[in-house]
Amino acid sequence: MGGTIGLILGREYFSRVRKKSFIIMSILGPLIIAGVMIFAFWMSLEESENQKILVVDDNHPFFTELEGNETLLFEVQDISLDQAEALLDVSDFTGILYLPQNILQSKVGELYFKKQPSFKVQRRIEESVQQYMEIRKLEEFDITESDYRRLKAPFTLLTFQFDSSSGRMEETNILPAVVGLVFGILIYLFIFMYSIQVMRGVIEEKTSRIIEVMISSVKPFQLMMGKILGVGAVGLTQFLIWVVLSIVIFSVGQSVILGDKYVAGADQGNVTEMVQSEMDADNQLNITKMSQDDNLFNSIRRVNFPVMIAVFLFYFLGGYLLYSALMAAVGSAVDSDTDTQQFIIPITFPLLLAYILSFSVFENPSSGMAVWLSIIPFTSPVIMMIRVAFGIESQDLWQVYLSMGLLIITFLGTVWVSSRVYRTGILMYGKKASFREMIKWIRY
Amino acid sequence: MDQPILEARNVNKHFGTFHVLDDISLVIPAGSIYGLLGPNGAGKTTFIRILNQITAPDTGSVQFNGRDIKLGDTASIGYLPEERGLYRKMKVWEQAIYLCRLKGMSKAEATNSLKDWFTRLNMKSWADKRVDELSKGMQQRLQFVVSVAHGPELLILDEPFSGFDPVNTEELKKEILRLNEEGTTIIFSTHNMASVEELCSEITLINKGQNILSGKVDEIQRSYSKSIYGVSFKGSQVAFANALGHQFEIENLVEKGELSNALIKAHSSMSTKDLLGSLIQQVDIVSFSEKLPSMNDVFIDMVTPKSEVA
Repeated sequence: MGGTIGLILGREYFSRVRKKSFIIMSILGPLIIAGVMIFAFWMSLEESENQKILVVDDNHPFFTELEGNETLLFEVQDISLDQAEALLDVSDFTGILYLPQNILQSKVGELYFKKQPSFKVQRRIEESVQQYMEIRKLEEFDITESDYRRLKAPFTLLTFQFDSSSGRMEETNILPAVVGLVFGILIYLFIFMYSIQVMRGVIEEKTSRIIEVMISSVKPFQLMMGKILGVGAVGLTQFLIWVVLSIVIFSVGQSVILGDKYVAGADQGNVTEMVQSEMDADNQLNITKMSQDDNLFNSIRRVNFPVMIAVFLFYFLGGYLLYSALMAAVGSAVDSDTDTQQFIIPITFPLLLAYILSFSVFENPSSGMAVWLSIIPFTSPVIMMIRVAFGIESQDLWQVYLSMGLLIITFLGTVWVSSRVYRTGILMYGKKASFREMIKWIRY
Repeated sequence: MDQPILEARNVNKHFGTFHVLDDISLVIPAGSIYGLLGPNGAGKTTFIRILNQITAPDTGSVQFNGRDIKLGDTASIGYLPEERGLYRKMKVWEQAIYLCRLKGMSKAEATNSLKDWFTRLNMKSWADKRVDELSKGMQQRLQFVVSVAHGPELLILDEPFSGFDPVNTEELKKEILRLNEEGTTIIFSTHNMASVEELCSEITLINKGQNILSGKVDEIQRSYSKSIYGVSFKGSQVAFANALGHQFEIENLVEKGELSNALIKAHSSMSTKDLLGSLIQQVDIVSFSEKLPSMNDVFIDMVTPKSEVA
């Protein structure tokens, strides 16, 4: 029995990985991903020309000196925003930083510019203002800087949660989370693509009428499982190629764009502070926090890739087995591709929902909705991936175990149900398939 | 008699409320070419699927070589389904090897056997082509080869000649007979009654899920004989008619030049010896033969509802 499934698996696998489309996808995928990332990074790296910012402070003289750098200069003037706007046109100022009266409460300022400054410049301005406000507050409450440093570490986590709505502190954690989102979307894409391939394969066997020859030699269950596992192995191969190629492209891109100097600097100075959050070290479901001065490449290194890839593999396989079994049942019940729409949409709806909601889970990974979606097996592969990327607190680890356990139970269930539908469906021709009909077949 | 290769005992199968197979029992002797006949929808394909263990009977059993049939037996059975196909994008040789290995052959065994078959059926030149590049006739040959290359004891052919051109049909018949001579038992499901008479030694006729007739082909023909004789003669037709007397009736009489062809039906069990004795005195007999009913006649007679028989 094992040998038979192996034979079938082998055919399904090799007939697909030898296709041109597979080879093209394998090379193009990581090129596109790495290309987009490198392009985005390159755009953010590119320092626009020197910035001279006119600071309009409604609380004047509160922000007396903001810390700039070689390319960023602040100049505080006691004028109104209207006056400053008039001045902007005729002066060499590149922008106006407007700090309104209630800034200590709202923590929102405004930047007016003639030419869009780079993301890095914007971030630098934010940091300067924030830093300045913090120092002034220290003075106000009569706190020494060393006391503040001691206080600062436990505060990091709190500010992360508090500020996630304003989007500022996300800077520190955004990369692992983005990687999580990307992995989540990859899971969605892979499950979708490859379970549809299973369905197509079943339909192909049915319409080409090889099916009767096949099942006179092997059991329908062996044929279905061989196909599911073979196509799944194709998906894993594709993923593996993507990971390896991405690493290669990324390393090459890093050294080409940054040069040796930047890379060396990253190893020494920039990694100033790594605070391990309160995670269960045994399970390695950790996230690391980083100092705000990190660049993209350093941040990428912070992502716990072994854990992410392990979690990806588990949830891809679990979700794929769940959905591809259902798709195999659909493929067995119809006579042609055109009849499949009515089934694909309702069956993949939870998956699509998970994909759509993944963006709001990304914004708020610990919400009740996120927790539920990450436990329910039909949505968990996409959503848990994102939650893991954000980090799971040790007291919430049971949710991961529950989610994994439920996924395993559910895919065993769908494989069983589907194999019952499948063995009847593959021999049915010209019968208009419906869910009602398929449920009847389960009991045959 | 030797142990039969296959025996079905009281096989029943329902699809929902529809009784597809109603208590089918039959015995297939080893080494025979066995015809499985019946109109469309009679249940032949379902029965064949049960023999191939594609579906299981609701009740009843199938014995293979004297014991209950089991999954491993598929390696000893070859099956050419009526609705047959191949993986269209796969190469011919690769596909043949794959299908043989699914029947339990090792790669080396499959290679050896397929080399023989490809040589015998002139398929070597297109072994490297993809199936969708083949003509229909080539595909049919390949389908036949993959159903026999693993050397089955029992070969089940469901409408094997449908869609075959006369040249391929002849070649296929030749191969079937050769396999049978080498000891392969063949189950042959078809509508083509001429080929049944030509190939089969025994048949079973299934109608509406029931076994309505089983037996040896010549015995069946004889038992369905309506005592009709064909006579060709030279001479006076009137003298011929007079010589028949009351025991015989002329069904048909055609004149061809100086030769007359008559079909006569015997009313009672009068022996042909007496008939010929009186005929010879009146006309010159050129030929005389009993007209056995063709299997086609038997088939139509058996499956046509009696009310429709005029």
